Amino acid sequence: MAKSLLIISRQSPWSGPGAREALDIVLAGGAFDLPIGLLFLDDGVLQLAAGQNARALQQKDLSANLQALPMFGVEELFYCVDSASARGLGDRSLDEAQPLAAAQITALIDRYDQVITL
Amino acid sequence: MSTLHVLSHSPFGDERLTSCLRLLGTADALLLCGDAAYALQPGTAPFNALENRQVKLFVLAEDAQARALQVPDWAEAIDYAAFVELSIHHDKVNTWL
Amino acid sequence: MNALTVGTRTIELDKDGFLVDLNDWSSEVAGALAAAEDIELSAEHWEVLELLRSFYAEFQLSPATRPLIKYTALKLGAEKGNSLHLNRLFKGTPAKLAAKLAGLPKPTNCL
Repeated sequence: MAKSLLIISRQSPWSGPGAREALDIVLAGGAFDLPIGLLFLDDGVLQLAAGQNARALQQKDLSANLQALPMFGVEELFYCVDSASARGLGDRSLDEAQPLAAAQITALIDRYDQVITL
Repeated sequence: MSTLHVLSHSPFGDERLTSCLRLLGTADALLLCGDAAYALQPGTAPFNALENRQVKLFVLAEDAQARALQVPDWAEAIDYAAFVELSIHHDKVNTWL
Repeated sequence: MNALTVGTRTIELDKDGFLVDLNDWSSEVAGALAAAEDIELSAEHWEVLELLRSFYAEFQLSPATRPLIKYTALKLGAEKGNSLHLNRLFKGTPAKLAAKLAGLPKPTNCL
């Protein structure tokens, strides 16, 4: 049985390569059928904002990539409600992501064998 | 289940410490290394947050010494060998990169 | 430089035979890319290529094998969305080869 892995993604989509790197780890893990989860925390929740436009910055469309997660077999998707409300996050683009409060995140981390925070 | 959370960024102008304290479980511990050791600067918000929270707190001794930081009695200064021990004693290590 | 000649056009390819400029793709280009792989495109090939193009339009990335199978099963049903069918059509490497013929970038998670 492969070890389960939780990726905590806490960078904004536009601040640098962090958000993309976190997603690449998750997609690669999903492609190999690893039990993998993804939690958006801090500025990472901004990756979920609806209506972003990557073309305005001539960048790859991270939002579109995120929608592929369930296709890659990654169904454990979560975001921190405190981070989201602190940032006024309104409409979200990834319906599958479930909101978690701090205590639930502590329990989530406990559930996985390994954790990587990017 | 226990997690050793490892922080290495300065707590000033950065959310890692705040978020980490929010998510820290009762069996978890926190290790400060590199610029994260600045959280032990007395009279600052990070220092107060750590003191009030009463977490199991460790700091790499050399990082504290280099930064002229006194280690308060509610934290424990450790060397790299003890860091390795700590990592093994916890079920997992979460490094806040 | 790797290149493909289609009619009077010369189309630039990377070292793995993928299109350098994704805008170069057309059904003729797909046919020529397939011919270079000794594949004659049938209706069964085409429905997978079209599926890949819609995957790319939706998600802006090329699927690895598992998501390709899953997406195919979702859109075309389980009798087509399985590795047997896709391997038979695309010489055992459906994610890589079908992406190439469909004019998508090389899948990055295809190690």
